[in-house]
Amino acid sequence: MTPPGRARSWDSAPVALLRLDGAGAILDANATFRRWLGDRPAHDLRGTRLSALLSVGGRIYWETHLVPLLRLQGRVEEIAVELRAGGAPRRVLLSAEMHDGAGTDDGAGSVISVALFEARERSRFERELVAARAEAERSATSVRTLLTTTTALARAAGVEGVCDALVHAAVGEFRAESAWVWLVDGACAPTLRAWSGHGPQSEESAAALRAATGVARRGRSAADDITVMSDGHLVVPLRGADTLHGVLVLVPRAHAGDDALDRGALAATGQQGGVALDRAVLHEQSVSVAHELQRAMLTENLPQTERARITTDYRPAERTLQVGGDWYDAFWVDDDTLALTVGDIVGHGLRSATAMGQLRTVVRSHAESGVGPAEVLRRVDRFVRRHGVGFGSTLVYAELDVTAGRLAFACAGHPPPLLTRRDGEAEFLWQGRWMPLGVAAAPVRPPEAVVADRSGRHATDPGAPAPGAGAVELRAGDVLWLYTDGMVERHDRGLLTGLEELARAAAAAPGVATGELVSSLLGGELNEYDDACVLRLEWDG
Amino acid sequence: MTVATTRHSVRITGAPEGSPAMVFAHGFGCDQSMWRFVAPAFEADHRVVTFDHVGAGGSDLAAYDPDRHSSLEGYAADVVDLLDELALGPVVFVGHSVSAMIGLLAAGRRPELFDRLVLVGPSPRYIDDEDYRGGFAADEIDELLETMDSNYLGWSEFIAPVIMGNPDRPQLGEELTNAFCRTDPAIAKRFARTTFLSDNRADLAAVRTPSLVVQCREDAIAPVEVGRYVHEHLPGSAFTLIDAVGHCPNLSAPDALTAAIREYLSP
Repeated sequence: MTPPGRARSWDSAPVALLRLDGAGAILDANATFRRWLGDRPAHDLRGTRLSALLSVGGRIYWETHLVPLLRLQGRVEEIAVELRAGGAPRRVLLSAEMHDGAGTDDGAGSVISVALFEARERSRFERELVAARAEAERSATSVRTLLTTTTALARAAGVEGVCDALVHAAVGEFRAESAWVWLVDGACAPTLRAWSGHGPQSEESAAALRAATGVARRGRSAADDITVMSDGHLVVPLRGADTLHGVLVLVPRAHAGDDALDRGALAATGQQGGVALDRAVLHEQSVSVAHELQRAMLTENLPQTERARITTDYRPAERTLQVGGDWYDAFWVDDDTLALTVGDIVGHGLRSATAMGQLRTVVRSHAESGVGPAEVLRRVDRFVRRHGVGFGSTLVYAELDVTAGRLAFACAGHPPPLLTRRDGEAEFLWQGRWMPLGVAAAPVRPPEAVVADRSGRHATDPGAPAPGAGAVELRAGDVLWLYTDGMVERHDRGLLTGLEELARAAAAAPGVATGELVSSLLGGELNEYDDACVLRLEWDG
Repeated sequence: MTVATTRHSVRITGAPEGSPAMVFAHGFGCDQSMWRFVAPAFEADHRVVTFDHVGAGGSDLAAYDPDRHSSLEGYAADVVDLLDELALGPVVFVGHSVSAMIGLLAAGRRPELFDRLVLVGPSPRYIDDEDYRGGFAADEIDELLETMDSNYLGWSEFIAPVIMGNPDRPQLGEELTNAFCRTDPAIAKRFARTTFLSDNRADLAAVRTPSLVVQCREDAIAPVEVGRYVHEHLPGSAFTLIDAVGHCPNLSAPDALTAAIREYLSP
């Protein structure tokens, strides 16, 4: 090819061709490039830096990425940039090579040859790919975040637990700097129920309250009704099925490199939080009804007599939200006979609370003058078997003849009554043993181990037929203790050890008050999972 | 312990232990290889340290912490950790571009680790703000992220032919791959935001370490006015304008930059 032919090829090549000096200023550009720029004359372009004709992003990229590569390895290939000079933005792929002079101060000798290919379709395709990948990464992260958050919400117990789970998810999963949950309760002003990170300042509180009110006023709206406050805080409504429970407020991190909060996943978390609060509120209501029921069924005005004083103590389990099934009762069977009973219903919650109510009534209605503990237990057992209420529950029933000081008693699977004497002696009353209610309506022997092992503490003859009831004469100063297994059973020790400790504690100070005994035995940590109930009768003779 | 040394792929060359030390920190977009035309010039009389920020070059990508590295303070903490571990005595810290600000923050936090600072093309804020001219608008930084997105698709393939061309010498490919400004795409994008969206103007006044601002006469990333702004707001700073064009004088005008640094360090 002749030199003029070669010059024509340079000008008419289907790619833009340029020669730049070492600093990136244009020395020469072919006609294609000039045409792309709106037929700029060659002399007009000379000295212009190629990077100045790119988008600002492309210019930064040129200075920070391409110049180092050109200087270090002498070439770059297939770099996607956008020409911004003259007419519409033009997406091109850039390849360049640097000749001579690399690594020396710019000037003589350094020349950069550049070819630009128009890449409209390819760029569009690549941008779609990049966008699709970014979207896929975003949703993968969202799904992961949501999964963790939903699991935490599902595990949360109670309203407090749900609020904690929400703020911890906001900080731990969504990477907010701080998060607060405000709950609205009917007409009352919203209250701060949980926070993570730093607590709200008073003006922030005020803003959150206004936001919560605003959200409430807007009513039910689109899925993504997150509000961005003027201070940048995000307010996420926590909507239940019928009501707005409150708002989750997030303080985003404010550093330059921080990613934006995932609003889609955040809105979904708000919805999950609302549902979780629905569930928690419902659960707490049912628990509170059960507690109420139980309290109502525990006799408040205990019968009193001149010769005996009755006191009681009841400690619900601390850890579980559920109501246990322990109960006590005391009532007059006739003018001279005082009935005392302590029971323990199998199970928790409303069902056991109502079973307790039924058993309490059944005991009261079958306790008639002249019937006696054995027959009362037999009748209660029959009721349990016939009606399927309170199966497996345990009960101690005792009758005190207040004129003679004689106590008759029977135990259906229940820990034995404890009698402490004025002189400090303690005795478990192991007679009158029955199986738990509904199991077998016949008296049984006390456990062999107890009979063989605890000589002197009880008066049972292993050879005698099992009596349906026991009896003991009370002396002045004697104290009778009826109680539930929560007082003596613990996961870290056996029942017998628990009984020994109870006997020791009760005998150490015959005058010990009911509450003090319970406190000293439970030591503040024992009844995490089980109720404990005690009825104490002091016989004055 | 060599935790930070390994994490930052540290190279130590030059004069024996006990000699005055110079630490060269690379800017956004490249790695320590961008000092290869300048750092060797100081090896005769200095212990010369180059390293990679987390996310660049041969650094340990697992050490990237989205919380810590969401601000330049985190990168400054990395520098402090590294200097504590190397225990070179007060060093001359040469920071290019964003590393100039990282060095300033580190010196503000732990002045006793620094003898002097050399700030090459520094900018305390890239985005215009009222009367302050940083040179960019916030949405233009989005364009940069977009450009990075369109290019890291092919970034690894870019090096691949070199490796494939030398199947019998894979270590050559490895060496080349590591040599040229490799950055982890995801980290690089966050580093871009951290770099270009930070505002460290208020940190200048707190620095007491003597420093030199080296400014190219024409720089599209950090214009002359910005270099002067840094000099005016940085107590105890000197200012040298070098006859170079572009943002990377360490690559495009290494002799001029070396001379400027040498003159500043000479007694």
